Amino acid sequence: MPYHTFKCSEMLPDREKHAVIKGPGEDITSALPLGNLNTVPGTITERGCAYCGAKHVIGTPMKDVIHMSHGPMGCTYDTWQTKRYISDNDNFQLKYTFATDMKEKHVVFGAEKMLKQNIHEAFDAFPEINRMTLYQTCASALIGDDMDAIAKQIMKERPGVDIFVCNAPGFGGTSQTGGHHKINIAWINNKVGTVEPEIKSKYTINYVGDYNIQGDCEIMTDYFNRMGIQVISMFTGNGSYDDLRAMHRADLNVLECARSAEYICNELRTRYGTPRLDIDGFGFDLLAESLMKVAMFFGDDCVEKAKAIIDEEVARWKPELDWYAKRLKGKKICLWPGGSKLWHWAHVIEEEMGVKVVSVYSKFGHQGDFEKGIARCSEGALAIDDPNELEALEAMEMLKPDCILTGMRPGEVAKKIRIPYLNIHAYHNGPYKGFEGWVRLARDLYNAIYSPVMNLAAIDISKDDFETDKGFMTRTMLSDPGVPREELHTENMYTGKMDIVTHLRDKTYDFPAPEPKADAAV
Amino acid sequence: MTSLRPNLKLMRLFEENDMEMKERIAILENYIMQRCLWQFHSRAWDRENQNNGILGITKTMLLGEEPDLSTPELKCYWVDAKCLVDGFKTKFPWVNEMNKEDIAAMMDGLKERIDYVTIHGSLNEELTVKLY
Ligand code: SF4
Repeated sequence: MPYHTFKCSEMLPDREKHAVIKGPGEDITSALPLGNLNTVPGTITERGCAYCGAKHVIGTPMKDVIHMSHGPMGCTYDTWQTKRYISDNDNFQLKYTFATDMKEKHVVFGAEKMLKQNIHEAFDAFPEINRMTLYQTCASALIGDDMDAIAKQIMKERPGVDIFVCNAPGFGGTSQTGGHHKINIAWINNKVGTVEPEIKSKYTINYVGDYNIQGDCEIMTDYFNRMGIQVISMFTGNGSYDDLRAMHRADLNVLECARSAEYICNELRTRYGTPRLDIDGFGFDLLAESLMKVAMFFGDDCVEKAKAIIDEEVARWKPELDWYAKRLKGKKICLWPGGSKLWHWAHVIEEEMGVKVVSVYSKFGHQGDFEKGIARCSEGALAIDDPNELEALEAMEMLKPDCILTGMRPGEVAKKIRIPYLNIHAYHNGPYKGFEGWVRLARDLYNAIYSPVMNLAAIDISKDDFETDKGFMTRTMLSDPGVPREELHTENMYTGKMDIVTHLRDKTYDFPAPEPKADAAV
Repeated sequence: MTSLRPNLKLMRLFEENDMEMKERIAILENYIMQRCLWQFHSRAWDRENQNNGILGITKTMLLGEEPDLSTPELKCYWVDAKCLVDGFKTKFPWVNEMNKEDIAAMMDGLKERIDYVTIHGSLNEELTVKLY
């Protein structure tokens, strides 16, 4: 097994099997790190807690909901607004966060009374919102507050109100992945099947595992709607609480991030017989195939529409993607996301942008995620599970990447050693899904790598030992020397608008009339 | 973990020194591993179902037979199988030249490899966990 030992972790033998290099001839039966294990004491992880995985990743993208944490303010504050999961209702769920603000006295005397009061206050303050998710934290779990009982009391006292209780305290799992699991299962156990949706189309899906970062989900649902498919629910980006209670009525579950949301698809398959189709919403080639797959499931009329969308989008955006690909060719990147992008992107970003993925990592991925990622990435890539900051620094020193694609915390570490980073959790200038989105990613990657800022940042201006007339480099000096003259095509760089999402919200779609279903009445 | 059972028919085929067949299987395996996600469901039993369903229909279609699409589950398998068939035929034109016997043997060999890489030879310790 081609394990890689970091010098900085030599004194931590438990870290020995958490990094591998995919050598020549290696495949996933010989190169696979451990994953989804408790973080080794002594190392410093970048992971989140299970509560964070439940609330911050999956719960709070739901848009028409008061999201309340039962616990200290810090839990809530640190899971608020760091991801840009926008919504079409003026971002209610991004603007407001709610917490019961537990203190020592509540730990001693109990916090149920105070919880109840908080819930009433929140509903009173926002009378237009009558849905709530309620999250347990370590503190409320340890003192044993019965949140389910309080939720039931409130629902009785306030008819029309519906509350979902999520029992995923911070310690309930190895990392955020424990919370993903818990909220998936709690949602299907308690909420799915409690609302009947209005069926508008012959073809219906749930779009699962997309959190609408800067509009990703809205880009994809626009494609599906144009194909004549009704998206009954989005789990959970831009998702509506009541739509998600109707997931049982969809014909197909279209799954993006299997790491965070495969559980609900598996359960919907078992309990309601809804098939699960895994897709890739990123990259021209894989996205085109994914749209075709969804269309083929429904029939020829859908296929024709999907083909038309693909032809139009590829013709419009491919020249612009190629403009960046020519200039990104051979650049080395580390693909260090939280979970699913390491396999969504590992191959297609090399194929379509010309970069070389020298490392993949995941903070909370399971071995299954590494199987997908390592199968897709090319020889020589270093795969790391749950890296600590020193390991990440050592990897950057060893691999000398041109850019790190990651989240804010490791991104800031990279910046300190003047390696540019691109935020692929909350995004820089997304959405990155869809054909145009993929060009936006290429544009952001290009800007990250070639920005003159990194060179300028190396100068210690207090010493004044630099040439003041040569500080700034132009695009043609930085990125174009390697591009053949006849291929420079300056007109083909990204020409899209700043906001490519808002206008989609005013669109109307034609759906093929639904067929009456024998079991539609409940 | 289940051990890899030798496929006698396949072994005979390889003993006949059909290196070309081995290479072809390796090419198709690589194509699936880089491109597809269906083979990576999270439990061994689930992977078995996926591999049987999708590769079974792929074989049926490559042999020119009509697949059974009578349930949503089969239709979902077919969607992935159809993409594989189209991909194999366009990316690897030699697939179109093969006779039915060779296609059947190649698909059996491919199924065996995918089962090995994703199930029987997998290092993924979560494959046998009882719950999801
Ligand atoms: S680990 Fe516990 S205390 Fe810390 S943020 Fe998570 S829920 Fe709150």
